[in-house]
Order: sequence, then C-alpha cells, then structure tokens
Amino acid sequence: MTNLLLMAGVFLFSFIVGYFLISRIPTLLHTPLMSMTNAISAVTILGVLILFSVASTRTEQIIGSVAFVMAAFNLVGGFAITDRMLRLFKKKEAGGGK
Amino acid sequence: MIEPYFSMNLFLDFCVIGILILGIWLFRWPNTAKFGNLTAAFALTCAAGLVLYRSGTLYPYIVLISLVIGSAAGYWVAKKITMIQIPAMVAFQNGAGGVASFLISFVELMRGAQHLGPVNEFFGLLGLTTGALTFSGSMIAGGKLSNKLDQTPRILPNHTWLVIINLAAIIALIIAALFAPSGSQIFLYILIVLLSILFGIIFSIRIGGADMPVLISFLNATTGLAAAFCGMIIENKLLISCGATVGASGSILTYVMCRAMNRSLFRVFVPLETSPQEPAVNNGQTLTADPVEKEAPDQTRDQSSEQTNLQKTVELARKADKIIIIPGYGMAVAQAQFEVIDFSNKLLSMGKDVKFAIHPVAGRMPGHMNVLLAEAGVDYDLLEEMDAINPEFKDTNFSLVIGACDVVNPAAIETDGSPISGMPILLAHESKHVVCCNLDNKPGYSGVENPLYKNDNTIMLLGNAKETLQQLLENLSDAPPAIEEPSEKSHLDAAITALSSAKKVIIIPGYGMALAQAQFKVVELASILESMGTQVKFAIHPVAGRMPGHMNVLLAEAEIDYDKLYEMDEINPEFSQTDAVLIFGACDVVNPSAIEIEGTPISGMPILTAHDAKKVIVCNFDANPGYSGVENTLYENPKTIMLLGDAAATAKELIDALKKQN
Repeated sequence: MTNLLLMAGVFLFSFIVGYFLISRIPTLLHTPLMSMTNAISAVTILGVLILFSVASTRTEQIIGSVAFVMAAFNLVGGFAITDRMLRLFKKKEAGGGK
Repeated sequence: MIEPYFSMNLFLDFCVIGILILGIWLFRWPNTAKFGNLTAAFALTCAAGLVLYRSGTLYPYIVLISLVIGSAAGYWVAKKITMIQIPAMVAFQNGAGGVASFLISFVELMRGAQHLGPVNEFFGLLGLTTGALTFSGSMIAGGKLSNKLDQTPRILPNHTWLVIINLAAIIALIIAALFAPSGSQIFLYILIVLLSILFGIIFSIRIGGADMPVLISFLNATTGLAAAFCGMIIENKLLISCGATVGASGSILTYVMCRAMNRSLFRVFVPLETSPQEPAVNNGQTLTADPVEKEAPDQTRDQSSEQTNLQKTVELARKADKIIIIPGYGMAVAQAQFEVIDFSNKLLSMGKDVKFAIHPVAGRMPGHMNVLLAEAGVDYDLLEEMDAINPEFKDTNFSLVIGACDVVNPAAIETDGSPISGMPILLAHESKHVVCCNLDNKPGYSGVENPLYKNDNTIMLLGNAKETLQQLLENLSDAPPAIEEPSEKSHLDAAITALSSAKKVIIIPGYGMALAQAQFKVVELASILESMGTQVKFAIHPVAGRMPGHMNVLLAEAEIDYDKLYEMDEINPEFSQTDAVLIFGACDVVNPSAIEIEGTPISGMPILTAHDAKKVIVCNFDANPGYSGVENTLYENPKTIMLLGDAAATAKELIDALKKQN
C-alpha cells in the first residue's frame, strides 16, 4: 500500500513538475521537444530489461525482444533526431542583428 | 522483487529523475537545449544501467542483439530523414513506443496472475489499451502525414457510435479481465489489444490533414501515459516518472495546438456529422462576395442558341470557385460518366472546388451511382451524400445537372399534392446558376414538370450529354486564361520597389514554403535585405508547420539565426510599424477574417496581423483559401501585392531583381 501511494506520488510529482517545466519551453523548440519527450517515453526499455531479469518462456522472449527493438528504435532514433534538429538552431555571432 | 537497499535505491531513482528534469529544464533556451537533450539521454542511460545493475539479465544476447537492431534502425532513420518528414517520423516513433508499452504490459499480465495485486493488474490493462491504441493511431497519423494515406477525413457510417461502442467494449473487457479466472485471462488480453488497435484506427481516420498537429500531440501524451501505466504494473518509479512527464508535455502541446487553430479538442476528434467532409467550405464560400455573379443573370436571360449557352457555361465554369455536379441516371444511359470525370478533372486542375452530389435514388439501386462513377475513376472523396451536400448549394457558383430530373425538381418541396411532394431533393435551385445537360426538357419518371428548367439562372444544354460534355471540355481547354504574364511582371516590380525602400520587413513563412522547399531561398532573400540595411524579422505562427514548432526547425535547417524568429504575440504589435510583410506559402494564419468576421471556422483564431503593415507581398502558390476553406480577405486588400506561383521561384526572382538593383 505504501508502495502504491509512493507510485501515485511519483506520478503526480512528475506530471506537475513536467507541466511547469514544459509550459515554459518556447514554441520555437516545440518540435524538438516533442521528439525528445518521445524518446523519453522509450523509458519502457527498462520494463523490458526487468522482464528479462527473470526466467522467461520462449513466447515471452520473443515478445520481449520485439518490445526491446521498438523501444531501442524509439530511444536512439528520438534522441538522435532531436540532436540533429537542435544542431540546426544556430546563432550567428557575427553580422546577424541581435 | 527484493530491494535490500530500499532507501539507497530510492535515492538513486530520484537522482536519475533529477537529471532528467535538468535536461528538460535546459530545453528552455535554444542554446542549451542541445545539452538538455543529451542530459535527458544520459539520464535514461543511467536508468538502464541502474536496472541492469540491480536485477541483472538472464538473456544478455537477446538484450544485446535487440539493442543493436533497434538502435541501428533508429539511428539510421534519424540520419536519413529530412526535416519536412519530421512529423511523420515522430508519429512512427510514437507508434513504436506504443508497441513496446503494450507488449510489456501483456507479458507482465500473463506472468502476473499469481503475484500482481488488483491495482497493478488494472494499470497493466490500461497500459495494454493505451499502448495498442497509440500504436495504431500513430500509424494512421504517420501514414497521413507522409502522404501514404489520404489526408481527408474518412468517415464511416455512424462513426461516433462505432467509436463509443468500441470504447465500451474495451471497458467491459477490462472489467471482465479483472475478475476472470487466470486461465481464460490471456484471451481477454489479446481481445483487448485487438479492440484497442481497432479503436486507434477508427479514431484517427476521421481526423483530417489540417488537424494532424493536434492528433500527434495527443498521441505523444498517450505514449507517455502508456509508459507510466507500464511502470505502475512493474512498480518502477523511473518508468512512472518519465511517462508522466511525457504525458504532461503531450497534453500541453495538444492544448497549444487546439488554441492556435481555434478548435476544441472534442470537435477535432468528433467532427460534426451533418456535413462530414468539409463543413469549413460552406462557411468559407459564404464570405466570397463574388462580383461576377451579379451581372450573370442578365447574360442568361437573353439566351438565343445552343452555342451561346455553351459559351456561357464555359464562362461560368471559368469564373466559378465552387461547382457541384449532379449525375442522374440519364448520364449512365448516355454512357457519359467518363466525360463527366474528364470535365471534373479539368475543373479540379483549374483549382476549382468540385463535388458530386449523389441523390439516394440517382441510380437504379442503392449506391448504384457511386459504383458507376467509381468505375469511371472518380476520387470517391468527391462524392457527397444528399444530406451532406444540400447545405452547400447556396454557396455554389453553379450546379451541373447531367441526366437528372426528378431528384432536382423544386416542385417536390414547393408544391403540395404532386406525386413527388415531400420527396427529398438535391437543392440545385439554391445555387447561383444551374446548367442542365439533359436529353430533353420533358418531365422525369414522376411526370411532374420541372420548374427549375424555366428559372432565369438556368442554362439548358439539351441533347446527348456525352457530346455536350465533350464540347464543354474542348471550349474550356481552348480558352486562354493567360493574361497573367504581364500583370505578374508589374507585380514583381511593385514588390521590388516596396522591398528596396523598406526599413523594416517581416517575413511570414507558412507550410506552403516548406512544401515548395523554398526556405533556403527565403533565408537568402532575408540576408540580401539585411545587407541593404533593412531590418528583417520572421514571424512564426504556432501552427505554421505540421507539428508544434516545426517551422522553426525548417528555418533552422536553412541556417537562420534563431534570434530573428519571433513568436506571434511578440511580433504582432510590430506589424503597424513595418514597411513590408513578405508572406511565403501562408494563408489561414494571416487571414484577417479570423478577427474581423464572426461565424467562420477560423473566427477567433489568433493570427499574425500582417494586414497592419504598410505593404503586404504574398508569395503563395495560388489565391485559394487554406485548410480552413475561408477566403483570405487580405488578398483583396489594395496594399497587397500578389506574386503567385512556386514560392522558391518567386523568392529567386526577388533575389535576382534586388541583386540587380544594387
């Protein structure tokens, strides 16, 4: 029961903190933001790791590996594309007006 | 799971969450965002390391191989994708996240019968549903965004009911699964997954291309929630925390998008069913004060011969914005459907809004006419049912009746006691003009005279419909609409004069610019203007791209200094002191109707107030309305200079002309 309350607390805390942090992010960066949060949602990769920490049947192994591939795709792809996008946001120090 | 160092573990978990929060916090400034992204990636790597350290893995090879495959695929796609494809990429990634969530929930539920508490099981079931519907919804969204699927809303009969029934079935199954004996649960789980996938599909297919930003933001939120639910079942705080954060982010973006488009979330997801295809268009057309139409009745009155009628029809067709074609069985008898399609394609290629109004009894059995037209290769999105199209007639420039009589006979609603009184008809007589390509002007099957034929604004083209249409098509193709060249030239000169004398210029990029891949030219143009001593700013509307902030990415790709990109609220007060505004491929976001006229689909939508500037130069592909279907009154403004055509080509012409001047 304490565990359950703790989980609910973590959920609420993260949602609220996330809400306040993210509502401050300028619209300029909304696409990279979405792509990064997408990558963060690939945190489910931890779920697969936990899945594989105990003996699994063949079916579970197959399902688990599919989930792992998907989560890894999301994770690496998401952070990589976000990085690529953000590298495009340049500030010209010389010449450009402030 | 045994946790001997409970407090230590908890501490480490919070450390990881802290790093993640730091990462998001760094996202608030463009120059630190890149570091923030890497910080978040680092946080997740730490989290994975932590989990591996704590629980180890029994299947290192599976983990390693899956990791390599998934990462390689993700990395490869991320390197290969172009910036304009980002929304589709995000949608597909969303889908991948959804798959991972529901598969994990599924395995945990299968295993869990013995040790899972009812609350964990409940969240597991929610994870299953949310993950599965995110998956299918994202696939549809991704397909629509990458143009692999048709972007128009696909509306099934009783769509809202299907959605409700599907949702109810999922809820019922979740409840059943909670109480079912452990042996039979697995079937319920599979059923829940299948129904949720179906739900995702029917939920997304009716959302049109214009509303995609809302849909993918929403799906972003649901992926997060799916991950959080997943975390609830395995009691992992990191999963819950990350999932909740993503959920919050997606919710905010959804709200921002809805507000920017002046849509309620509910209306995006549950469009009005009365005129399902484009309720926007009717309203839009109401606003079109079409001066051409006022003189037209005079022309039609003194009709003398077939030939002049034909000419008049061609003239009408050329001037019309919106045409509704009403095919009747007579068309099928004359085997004229192929000519009808050719004619409609011609009109469509001229940028007209063409629709087919299908009366329920237009053919010889239910849906017959649809089959006949489909055989001739019509795009079935153009086929509209009677109830859907009837409200649109009054905003239509002309209706083309081909081999139909009773179904357009106003006597059915205007006179009592005739055999057809009370029969529902297509309200062709409400359109500004009616052209009838019938064999003769005799009554139809019912034997009731058709008063429509004698109306002043009706043009009769009697004879074989097939031949009539061929003649129409020929005349329409011959006609020289090309008076554009010289006027374009002078427009360009006017634009150059305005730009070279301007002290302050604001550039408004829209999605049309991105489609024309004109961002590089636009940025070049901006730098040329700056080299002439002009102050240049970019005004970015929140829905300028296809997802939140998309336009900024596209411009960043073209190496613009992000200091020059201004948000709507920031830049709007500046327009009145601006000498010239350059619009590239944007329409709705600068449409003054949004603030000047009540009752349009965009009324109340926040816009960039470009019309406050001294000169407005519009470099759009055409002068047609945007997604909303509302005519842009800015285009008719005397201070507006229209430079129609490909935006990249226009930008190049401007660049060349400015260079020549210096």
